[in-house]
Order: sequence, then structure tokens, then C-alpha cells
Amino acid sequence: MNSGGDRRVRLAYVSAILILAGVGALSYLSMVRTDRSERWVRHTHEVLIDLQELVISLRGVQSNSRGFALAGEESYRESFLAGVGAARRIEVEIRGLTADNPGQQQRLRALEALVEQKVRHAQLVIGIRESRGLQAAADEIRTGTGEKLMRGVESAVSLMRGEETRLLVLREAEVKRHFGQTRMAVILGTLVGLLIAATAAWSIRRDRLTRETAEKAKRLGEGSFLALANNISQFAWMADEKGYIFWYNDRWFEYTGTTLEEMAGWGWQAVHHPDHVQRVVDKIKKCFDSGEVWEDTFPLRGRDGRYRLFLSKAVPIHDTDGKVLRWFGTNTDITDSRDLGSRYRGLLEAAPDAMVVVDTAGNIVLLNVQAEKQFGYNRDELVGQPVKNIIPEGFAERIVADDLRSTADALAQQIGTGIELVARRKDMTEFPIEIMLSPLESAGGILVTAAIRDISARRAAEGRYRGLLEAAPDAMVVVDIAGNIVLLNAQAEKQFGYNRNELLGQPVKNIVPEGFAERLVADDLRSTEEALAQQIGTGIELVARRKDGSEFPIEIMLSPLESEGGVLVTSAIRDISARKEAELQLLLKVQELNRSNEELGQFAYIASHDLQEPLRMVASYTQLLSRRYKGKLDSDADEFIAFAVDGANRMQRLIQDLLTYSRVGTKGKDLLDTSSEAALDRALDNLRGAVTDSGAVVTHDPLPSVLADEMQLVQLFQNIIGNAIKYQKGGVPLIHVWATRNEDMDWLFSVKDNGLGIDPQYFSRIFGMFQRLHKREEYDGTGIGLAICKKIVERHGGAISVESAPGQGSTFRFTLTEGGQPS
Amino acid sequence: MALQVLLVEDSPGDVRLTREAFRDTNLAVDLHVAMDGIEAMAFLRREGEHKAAPRPDIILLDLNLPRMDGREVLAHIKEDPSLKMIPTVILTTSDAEADIVKSYQLQANCYLSKPVQLDAFESLVRSINEFWMTRVKLPQRESAAVASPVGGKP
Repeated sequence: MNSGGDRRVRLAYVSAILILAGVGALSYLSMVRTDRSERWVRHTHEVLIDLQELVISLRGVQSNSRGFALAGEESYRESFLAGVGAARRIEVEIRGLTADNPGQQQRLRALEALVEQKVRHAQLVIGIRESRGLQAAADEIRTGTGEKLMRGVESAVSLMRGEETRLLVLREAEVKRHFGQTRMAVILGTLVGLLIAATAAWSIRRDRLTRETAEKAKRLGEGSFLALANNISQFAWMADEKGYIFWYNDRWFEYTGTTLEEMAGWGWQAVHHPDHVQRVVDKIKKCFDSGEVWEDTFPLRGRDGRYRLFLSKAVPIHDTDGKVLRWFGTNTDITDSRDLGSRYRGLLEAAPDAMVVVDTAGNIVLLNVQAEKQFGYNRDELVGQPVKNIIPEGFAERIVADDLRSTADALAQQIGTGIELVARRKDMTEFPIEIMLSPLESAGGILVTAAIRDISARRAAEGRYRGLLEAAPDAMVVVDIAGNIVLLNAQAEKQFGYNRNELLGQPVKNIVPEGFAERLVADDLRSTEEALAQQIGTGIELVARRKDGSEFPIEIMLSPLESEGGVLVTSAIRDISARKEAELQLLLKVQELNRSNEELGQFAYIASHDLQEPLRMVASYTQLLSRRYKGKLDSDADEFIAFAVDGANRMQRLIQDLLTYSRVGTKGKDLLDTSSEAALDRALDNLRGAVTDSGAVVTHDPLPSVLADEMQLVQLFQNIIGNAIKYQKGGVPLIHVWATRNEDMDWLFSVKDNGLGIDPQYFSRIFGMFQRLHKREEYDGTGIGLAICKKIVERHGGAISVESAPGQGSTFRFTLTEGGQPS
Repeated sequence: MALQVLLVEDSPGDVRLTREAFRDTNLAVDLHVAMDGIEAMAFLRREGEHKAAPRPDIILLDLNLPRMDGREVLAHIKEDPSLKMIPTVILTTSDAEADIVKSYQLQANCYLSKPVQLDAFESLVRSINEFWMTRVKLPQRESAAVASPVGGKP
């Protein structure tokens, strides 16, 4: 609203109206004056006319009297009377008309006197005529008194007339003058009025333009203002002149999590801190009332419930009259940029540990409520006091600058490391503490902030832990992540031959040269936690060194231990010399066994191999003998030769079997995925002759893939099925092969036959070498077949057994491990 | 001309057996014997006392020989351009897979394992005779003497 312009317009209007009124008034006045003047003129004219009429009336009177005098007619007397009446009437009129003019009044009186005389005379005449008749009247007339009187009246009239004329001239001039004035006034007034109107119009237009611009700007500004106000990082708000806040920017709502409804007017008190809100309200009310700029600092609660500190300001916006229209306010978050001192104080109070700030002289400057609690003092009792009062030894000395170093240097050595000391409460009881120092720059110099933690609990825990450690049967060594020994037990002392003190603080490398410290160190690839995590729980075999330099094998088991100072590693160290020795012995034994087996295998092989040759000689030549000299020798010779040949042949077979047996171990191939079905088919193929001859029927279920040496598997099937075919009482051999899973998830093969069956007492014997249950004449064979089967199965990591009863066939069972591939 | 057979065998018993077996089988066989590898090579190369040795049409070679082992002999034979064409049959007691593989690797013409039974042995010799000396076409002796890789007509 452009009040200035408005005023001007009003002013213009008022002026115009005033001027028009003025002009009107002036015109009216002029008109009135003119009218009056004219009236006076008219007035004068009327007087003149009256005077004339008077004269005429008098002349009439005169003539009428003369007429009467002459004629003596009544009509003349009537006319005479009428004329007199008229003259008197005119006199009265003139009197009225000239009432304002004393001069004229005087003359009028004179005139009236003269008129009176004349009238009397005329009357006289009339009276004479009446009384004396014509001649007397005529004589009277002839005297000329009437004439003289008449002339006197006329001169009196002309006197008056002259005055009136003079007046007339004056008044006419006056009228003209007045008229001229009026005209002037009207013209001027109209001009002025027009001028004012024009000015007003121009002024209005200019104001309108200005206002339009201002409005446009305002509209633009409003939008921009809103955008601006919502984008600044501060909170902004507007209140009316009474302090009723009617608008907040978005920042306010974002921070407080409130709505306009909740905050409007004086609702903002809801987000103020209860301890501060009253003083804020009082101060701001004062400013709203006085119109002074408002500034205050106070906490406001955010939507997360936490308070932040805000520097707030409000300025009043005035209108053109200087009255407050509204208030514009901002709140700026100064939580972080707050003066260090008070922020620090805040931090101090909020710290969970007892915090004490000490100056370089060792006096307490500041402490927090936790410190009050821990030491049992009131704040006032400690501020300014030497810190020795609460920490008798170890603190003040550390921070005092001496000849050797400045406080800064002294401090630098202590910063960050926890120092264990003893503290004393107000009641003189002492308790263990750990302090952590940090420097604080202040205006008065360097101060030292000490975080003081009561470690009684930790000590107790440590004590318990120490107890545990001591009680452990193994040597226990606790190491920090830097690889230094922090703790050890008596067992460790014994094992390594050191005294405890010789090891505490020393690098663990001294007793475990390699493999331990490296495992703990965090490197670029992993953090200590990860490094540890990999080691935890697994026994690691390393070499340890005693004090005397001798080394012995150890197994360490690591476990992490959280402590105040960081992660520690507890290691249980077990001397495994004995175990290692035993292992070594075992290894040697195994090696020896292997070697001996190998040798044995070789031996068996070579032996059988080399035995073959001489045996062949014996067998062959005895047979040649038998052939060539059959009939040429006596029958005894024939029989002897027959026995010799038979013996040699059997020997050969035995050796062959032995060879086969020994080959199971020595010539065995690696166990691979093998199709047991294929092996069975091969075995049946090899037994083709026996199968056909006996008419045997061999059936099988689908057989799995197993880990096996294929040739040996074939041999296995071949031997068992061969036996099944052989040991029959003359019926058709019926053999079925199948496989099932056993509880170890291995395959259990079963070969069932309808053969002779086996007496249970022989179950274990039949798997022995060269064990036979029948006479050679009954069933042929060396008795090594099942021994070979057993050896094969055992080589495959399985077991073989038999279920049987005489006359009820047999079921041979053996286990093999599953192969990887499907068969 | 009778078939010349070189038998490389260290066991006199086996030699005699073989001789007997061949006698029963095929009379048109001249059996020459070398008792060890060195002698065998000397015979083949016609060295020393074997200057007049005939070129064998077929060699029967035992593996287990003293001094120079049968495998070595086999290698020598098959490396020697003038000898490698001679069919070399391994006739040995061993039936070990390793021996079989090695022999074929060394390009033995075939591998036979001596049966333990006399009958079987005689049968084997008969088979050798039937196969190698009757059915199989052997290169002509003269062209065998010529060290030409391609067996051509004389």
C-alpha cells in the first residue's frame, strides 16, 4: 500500500474540493454581492422612479387641485386624494428604500415637509374653491405659491435624485467591479481547480505505476522470498506485530518435526528446552512490545529428541508511519561452532568417565559430575585444589614441566596411553584407576584433560583371569597386538625356563621365534580381527625356544581377549615334544613297515617268479620222462613219476597263487571310479568256460560305481563266483549279486549262491592262506582264492564276510566305497 | 633251406625242452642257441666265433638273461637297421604287465609267456611254429641282409 501516494491523492482531492468549494463560495458571495449591488442599483432606480412618481403624483395632486379649483368636480378631488395617498405611499417607499442612507433620509424629511406643504396648499386650494369658489381658488393659484412649493419639491426631489444618481453611478460601478471580480474569481478558481485535478490525476497515475511496479516486485519478491527463505540453512519465521508467529520456513519443520498448526502463534515454546523456555519467552515478549531487535541463544529440540544450540535474531518491519508491521526472525545452529569453552564444558559434563582438567601447576581447573561422584567430592571442594588430593602419586608428576622437558613434551609422552594409578576418595578409601591424558589449549596456557576410569572391576576380573591363567595346566601367554607379552603363568615360566619378569613386556618372538607374532600383525591384507579369526581354535605347530636356547616343538591355541587396551591374544602353549617324538616314531615305523611290505612284496614276487623256473624243469622233465618212458619202466616207476609230476604241478599252482596273492598289494593300481557291473561282466567272461560247463545262472541287480582297482575287482568277483560254481553238489548253480548301502554310506555287495554252504566254525579259516575244507580229490583248488579276495577287499578299505550254513548255500558280503561318477 | 631260429635262453633245461618241442613239430627248423645277451648280439652281428652264423629268420628271446638282459637285446635288435626286421618273439616265464608293456614298447613282435605245464608248452611251440613259421610271411634272407628300410624284391 502506497500510503504516501494515498495521502497525496487525498490531499489533492481535498484541495480540489476545497478550491471548488472556495470557488463556489466565492462565486456565491460574488453573486450575492452582485445581487445586492444590483439590488442597490435597482434600489436606487426605484428611488429615482419613486421620486419621479412622487413628483408626478404631486403634479397630479396639483393639477387635480387646480382641476377641482377650476371645475369643482368631485372626481378631481378623488383623484387629488388618490394622488396624495400615492404620494404618501411613495414617500413611505422612498423612506424604506433610503433607510440606509442618512443623508437621503434627511433630504427626504425635507422633501416630505415640502410635499406636505404642497399638499396642504393644494388642499387649501381645494378648500378655497369649496369655500370661496372658483375665483378665490384661481387667485390662490395665481399667487404661485403652489408653483413655488412645487418647485421646492422638485428641487428637493432633484437633490435626492442627484444623490441617488450619484449613488447609482457608484453602485453601478460597484456592480461592475463585483461582476468583474466574480468573473475573475470563477475563472481563476476553475483554472486552479483544473490544475489541481490535473496534478492529482498525474500524481495518481505515477503512483499507480509505482504501485504496479512495486506490486510486481512484491509478487516476484514474495515467490523468491519464499524460495530463499526455504533454502537457507537457518530457520526463518514471521510474526505479526503482536508477536504471533504465522509462518516458519521449511527448515524449522524439518528440524523440529512439527507442523504449522502446532507451532503457530506461541506454539514454538513446545520445542524449547524446559530450563530455558521461560527466559526466552520473557525476553522476546519485551522486544515484541518495545520494537527492539531481538537476539538470544537457546537450545531447540529436534525431531530426534536431541537439543541443539541456536543463535536467534528477530527484526521488526515497519510501515511508513514507523509502526511495527511484522517481525522477521531467524535461528542459526551454532551447536558446532559454539565457543570452545562452553562446548567443552558440555562435553565434559556429558562424558561417561570422570573427567578432570588440570593446569600445568597440577591444580584442578575443571571437573565433571562423574568426577564428583567417583571421588565423593562436591565440585567446589576440588576446583583450585591440587590434583594430588585425589591422585596422590603419578599424575601431577607426569605433567609438571621440569628442566628436562616442557609440559608439552611431557604430555606428548603420555597422550593416549592408559596409565594405571591409585586414586583416593573423600573418605580416604583408595581405588585403582586408569587415566588417559589429552592436552587442551586454552587462553591461559596448556591444560591437561584426564579421563579417569575406575578399574576396580577390571582389576577384579583381571585378578580372576590371572587366577585362571595360573591354574591352567598348559603354559598360557597373553600377547598384545604388537606382539609383546602382557601376561604369563607359572607353567609358562617353567616351560620356557624364564622368570616372569624377564618375559613381561618382551616380544613374544623371544620365546616363539617364528610363526606367532606374524600371525597377529594386521597388515595391508587384513585387520587384526581377521588375522586372529583365522587362527582361533586351530592348533598351530611351531617351534619354541627356551631361555637356554634349546628349542622344542609346541602347539599353540589362540583365543582373543577383549581388554581396555585393545584386543589381546591368549595363547595356550603345549609342549608337544613327546607327541612329536611319538609321531616321528610312528612315521618311522610306518616307513619301515611300508618298506618291509614293499620288500616282502618284491620278495614274494621275485621268489615266486624265480621259483617258477626250476619248478618248470622238474615238472616238465618228469612229464617228459613219463611220456617217453611210459611202459618202458615198471609200474612202480610209473607211479613214482606220477607222484613226482603231480607234486611239481601242485607246487606250480601254489606258486602261481602265491604270486597272484602277493601281486594284490604290490601290483595294485590306484583306486578309481569303476563300474562294478562292468567288472562283474568281465569276471563272468573269464569264467565263461566254467559257466557254460555247469549251466550256471548268474543274475544281478543294478550295481553301483565304486572306488576300485578294476582288475582286482574283476579278480574278486571271479574268485567268489568261481567258488560258487565249483562248490556245488551237482545241481545248477544259481548265483545272484546285488548291492545295498550300509550305515557308513558305503556299498555292501552280496553274492548269494545255492552251493554246498559252509560250516560256521570255518568262517574265518576259509579266508586264510591255502586253507581248504575239502580233499583235493573232491574239489580242486589251492585254497588261496578267498585269501586273495580278502586281501583285495582290505586293500580297498572294505571288509569281507560270509553267511552260510551247510547245505544252504552261502552269501559272501564285502564293502566298497562309493565312486564319484554314476555307473 | 631250413628255417633259422635263434633261441636266446639261459636255462639249459628250457633249451632242451624247446628243442624237443620243435623236433616234434617241424623238422625243417635249425635251432641256434645263445645263452646270454652278449652271445646273442655276437651271433646276430656275426662277431667272433659266430662269424659264419646265419641270419636268423626269427628270434625267440627270453627276458631274464645274465650279462645282457633280454630287454637290452631287444632294444639293440630293434635299433639296428640290419636286425630290426627280424621278427623277435619274447618267450619268457614272466607274465607281468610291466614286462609285457616294456617289450612291446621296445617293439617286440609279440610276447609269449611260457606255460608251466609241459603240454601247454609244447602246444605253444606248435603255435609259434604254425603262426610264425608257416603262416607268416617272413622277409627273404637276402634282402634282410641288405640294410634297406623297405623290404624289396631281390
